[in-house]
Amino acid sequence: MSTSFDRLIDGMIEALQSHVLPRSGDEFVRGQIFSTIFALNGLKLTADWKAAPLLEQVRVQDAALSEVGRLAVRMKHPPIPALPRTEGIAADPVVVEALRDDGDRILGELLFWASSEDARGADPSAAREIELLLRRSICEQLKVELAMTPKSMLHQIATGEEGG
Amino acid sequence: MARLHAVGKLMQVAVAPKERSSQSQDPARAPVVPDETTVRSALERHLRRELGSEVEIDGFERKSSGFSWITYSFVAKTTAGASRKLILRVGPPNGLFAPYSVLPQVRALQSLSGTHVPVPGLVSFDQEGAELGCPFFVCEHVEGDVPVPWAGSKLSEEHRRDIAGQFIAILGELHRLDWRGTQLASLQGGSEERDEVRAIAGWCASLERPTARYYPLLDWGGRWLLENCPLPPRRTIVHGDYRIGNFLEREKRITAILDWELVHLGDPHEDLAWALMPTFNGRSKKLYGVLERDEVVDRYQRASGVQISAKSLSYYEAFALYQAAAIQMRAVRAFEVDEFNDMRMAVMASQMASIVRAFDRALEAAV
Repeated sequence: MSTSFDRLIDGMIEALQSHVLPRSGDEFVRGQIFSTIFALNGLKLTADWKAAPLLEQVRVQDAALSEVGRLAVRMKHPPIPALPRTEGIAADPVVVEALRDDGDRILGELLFWASSEDARGADPSAAREIELLLRRSICEQLKVELAMTPKSMLHQIATGEEGG
Repeated sequence: MARLHAVGKLMQVAVAPKERSSQSQDPARAPVVPDETTVRSALERHLRRELGSEVEIDGFERKSSGFSWITYSFVAKTTAGASRKLILRVGPPNGLFAPYSVLPQVRALQSLSGTHVPVPGLVSFDQEGAELGCPFFVCEHVEGDVPVPWAGSKLSEEHRRDIAGQFIAILGELHRLDWRGTQLASLQGGSEERDEVRAIAGWCASLERPTARYYPLLDWGGRWLLENCPLPPRRTIVHGDYRIGNFLEREKRITAILDWELVHLGDPHEDLAWALMPTFNGRSKKLYGVLERDEVVDRYQRASGVQISAKSLSYYEAFALYQAAAIQMRAVRAFEVDEFNDMRMAVMASQMASIVRAFDRALEAAV
């Protein structure tokens, strides 16, 4: 989910055209490649990332931001946006992805703040709790991505051999 | 925007989609791979000059389609009738770690020749890459096979124990070597920054390059690593990519340690932690799937004379994952920003979530 959908499709088409097609002399195989390129172009026009996992990530981020706001109520901290951030927005994956990416930046900023001398000086126990909460939340968010990651094919990709 | 500047450097350069497309259209960023005919004729010219006689190249063959250096094997025949089986390694301008320098590898091969660390003999090198347009070096061909680190090995347990034992013994020898007075001494930084911190800072800088996605844990964890780098028990040569898969073995003997491009001076714990990563051991926590961690540490201590600190090893295990993440991010960037259409790069992006989670766990263990 860190690569944009269109870029991924473009990369697949280009890889087929520049790396696979020139090494394929068989008429049937070339027909298969061109058909796959056609299908990928079709996907680019009709498909996109699923919005639900992105929304789930934003929900996880919002829950963490809300909890940080509660724990840091008496501390001077970086701004936390109005929650929930998804209220009133369209379920357009591009919009939700931008919201998720913005959430990552806010969480990063809070994480740096929670481990700073300022936060530790103000309330060491709250600062530590916030730091751990943010790290847990970021990992939980990554878990959503892991659920959508296919089984590793590193061996096949690195060696070009089947199996592994 | 003002808010962003208060946070880590990686965050400041995360690329917005619009910036991404404008950067990627820069023709100077388009990948360039020298074709084999060009490489071969450049090599002939180079060897003619180096060896001072006509050279004929036979059996020129690309050995790998790796992510970084490109390796070719060939036979060089001189007019006097001598024939040598050699290896050419080229640092392509579009490789994962470009721009390349041959100097670390060259210095390693020069310094380690004749020691108990087996390396291929260096024949020649060209850092400027005048003939080829990119740096390259030529070394002796060493017989042997490279074990595959990603999957469980089909070799017997006894065979792997033999190899794993040698692998640790050689690492001990490497870390015992006095690098002062060798070519590798030139890797020592002249600045006030400690060598091992400089190595870590290099990976942090690599992660600061623009990418599409910002990972807060990497940004934050990178700073933690920089601020908490332990003092080494002894400053040694560090291979930098010492793992199963980076050596040749033949008839149960390790015949050469390969891939010295990341060699530097630093903390010996770094090599040990990298070698123990499950990714390089068929997803096992045991070295080569056979040697338990405690046994590895025990054998290593005896071979190197270095007393392993559990805390330093934990620190470098976290650093190993950070480095792995930085390498993956290089691939992500190559695909996403530079529009390098190698789908293997795109696939590497999908590994980020698991690496970053493992990095967080390792950080917690290292604190």
